[in-house]
Amino acid sequence: MFRLVAADLRRNALGALAIVLIVAFAAALGVAVTLQERALRLGSARAAAAFPVVVGAAGSETQLMLSAVFLQPAPLGLVPGKVLSSLAADPRVAWAAPVGFGDFVEDYPIVGTTQALIDGLGGLRGGQGFTRLDQAVVGAAVQLRTGDRFHPLHGQASSGGHMHGETTYEVVGRLAPTGTPWDRAVLVPIEAVWRTHGMEAHAGEEHAGEEHADDPHAGDAHVEETHTEAAVAGAGPAADPHAGVDAARVTAAGAPGVPAIVVKPRSIADAYKLRQEWRTDTTLALFPAEVLTRLYATLGDARRVLSAVAMGAQALVAAAILLVILLHVGQRRRQIGALRAFGAPRLAVFAVVWMEGFALLGLGLLAGVGLGYGAALAIAARLQAQSGVALPVLFTADDLTPLLLLAGATAVLATIPALLAYRQSPAAALRG
Amino acid sequence: MPALTVEELEVRFPGLETPALAIPRLGIAAGARIGLTGPSGSGKTTLLNLITGLERAGTGRILWDGTDVARLSEGRRDRWRAANVGLVMQDFHLFDGLSARDNVLLPLRLARFALPAGAGEEADRLLARVGIERRGQKVETLSRGQKQRVAVARALIARPGILVADEPTASLDAEAGAVVAALLIELAAEAGATLIVASHDPRLLERLDRVVRLEAGRVRPAEG
Ligand SMILES: Nc1ncnc2c1ncn2[C@@H]1O[C@H](COP(=O)(O)OP(=O)(O)OP(=O)(O)O)[C@@H](O)[C@H]1O
Ligand SMILES: [Mg+2]
Repeated sequence: MFRLVAADLRRNALGALAIVLIVAFAAALGVAVTLQERALRLGSARAAAAFPVVVGAAGSETQLMLSAVFLQPAPLGLVPGKVLSSLAADPRVAWAAPVGFGDFVEDYPIVGTTQALIDGLGGLRGGQGFTRLDQAVVGAAVQLRTGDRFHPLHGQASSGGHMHGETTYEVVGRLAPTGTPWDRAVLVPIEAVWRTHGMEAHAGEEHAGEEHADDPHAGDAHVEETHTEAAVAGAGPAADPHAGVDAARVTAAGAPGVPAIVVKPRSIADAYKLRQEWRTDTTLALFPAEVLTRLYATLGDARRVLSAVAMGAQALVAAAILLVILLHVGQRRRQIGALRAFGAPRLAVFAVVWMEGFALLGLGLLAGVGLGYGAALAIAARLQAQSGVALPVLFTADDLTPLLLLAGATAVLATIPALLAYRQSPAAALRG
Repeated sequence: MPALTVEELEVRFPGLETPALAIPRLGIAAGARIGLTGPSGSGKTTLLNLITGLERAGTGRILWDGTDVARLSEGRRDRWRAANVGLVMQDFHLFDGLSARDNVLLPLRLARFALPAGAGEEADRLLARVGIERRGQKVETLSRGQKQRVAVARALIARPGILVADEPTASLDAEAGAVVAALLIELAAEAGATLIVASHDPRLLERLDRVVRLEAGRVRPAEG
């Protein structure tokens, strides 16, 4: 019986292959959508894990989260220096680190911060942390080597920024891989960022505020901006580019403002209290993981549309395949009639036709799962190269149910031509 | 080797005014070798389909040693046919992609899950007997005469008591037809099977014990 099925499929190898491929592509579509969506969700959630609480100036939560966690350039207001100083002194805070953006080297974002964040991101894999204002630590995926020197560029190289020629950094260390956009970041002392932009303010360029909200109604931000300039202007001794890093200066009450502060609370209860306290008229505190979840909830509809499209495609393919198989059974009336004439019980005829159908559809389904997995991996790899977010493409136990359902549907589908063959009269078939 | 008694058989097809087949009585002795002839459309194939249980008779009895095939359910007719009837048809009906040997064994494979002991040797013996030497050859590469000889071997693999052939030589040239005709008669005798052959081929018919002539669905007296 199996020989007969195998011989039949071999004889129609090309048609069988076409059916398998069509089924495979349809199944791959659904599998890829599911896996990719999950990879995005897991990948970004993992990226947010190193950032328990983020504090920024009042404004959009999503923007603050995207900037601090995913390093997406966005105009953010500044939080005054006294916020960082009081957070740093708070006993409920394990560590608090500023993050300041705006400059780039090549297309890598330069992030001004402190050693605390380097440790919080997982520490160094090579070299050492920055100890002077002209030193930098690069993310795991940055194509710069220890000892390389570079000037920061205001704005991205690809969109034509201008060079801060007077500032030079030297790469002294490399972060351990994090699977987050921070793998593509270049970390420098926050004081160096202040210094760079402060000096330029002296040169009379009107752009130190470009990294904050340009909204004239954002009164707070505007006030803070002047405050920043004043603070930087007043920070005379720091102007030496070779000066050492001084943690106390960063957390001093009169220090310049920063766009965002990453806070690691000592406990979950502390996290909630801190978030509560720093949700004020002028500041915003958030759990990036929670903002992400909310973001996904709003995107959930889009995901459902995508899966519906994939399922619609699968249903269409199923219908087309069914038609092909029915035509095929029609063409094989004589063969099936002969099987009966030579002593095959009806059940054997049913089994032969069913097995052929199920083998084709099942093979297509399996190939489709593999193909979908491969496609999701390829997409994830491309996205990771662009964004730095590691996207884990993986199957979970939840996938088993739909896959089994699909396999069951395939088995049921295969019974339709089998039943047709089962019911056909052998004498009539032999005449035709 | 069962004997056949047909009684009061009448078959009508929709659209035909006269019955396609009307046989008040027809007897065939056990082990007999019977020819069935008559013009095209006279009902030969219809009669063979009925006595092999491929088609169900509406009225009448078709008794093979007391088993009324006309009364059996479809499933039981299949089983009865698998156990008692070997069929040879005009267009061979071999399964492409399988070897000659696998084609011979196919009825056994389909009827049960495992081949009965000795089936392989029996297939080899039958193939040797009908003069097929390359048993592993794919049937689609055989000549027409060879194909029909494989079909004869297949008809005998389950050791049936009844061997039925419908125009077994009609699609062969004279020489190959003569070989197949001789094989049918010899092998039926060797197996001790009742042989019923529908044919227009005078050289085949003249070697049989008796020829039944059908005309417009009725048996006409013929030279025996
Ligand atoms: N399913 C059917 N529906 C209608 N008419 C049928 C059907 N099967 C057979 N017939 C008719 O019954 C008659 C007998 O047909 P049958 O095939 O038995 O003839 P035959 O003697 O075998 O002819 P041939 O020598 O050409 O093979 C024919 O007129 C045929 O058209
Ligand atoms: Mg006929």
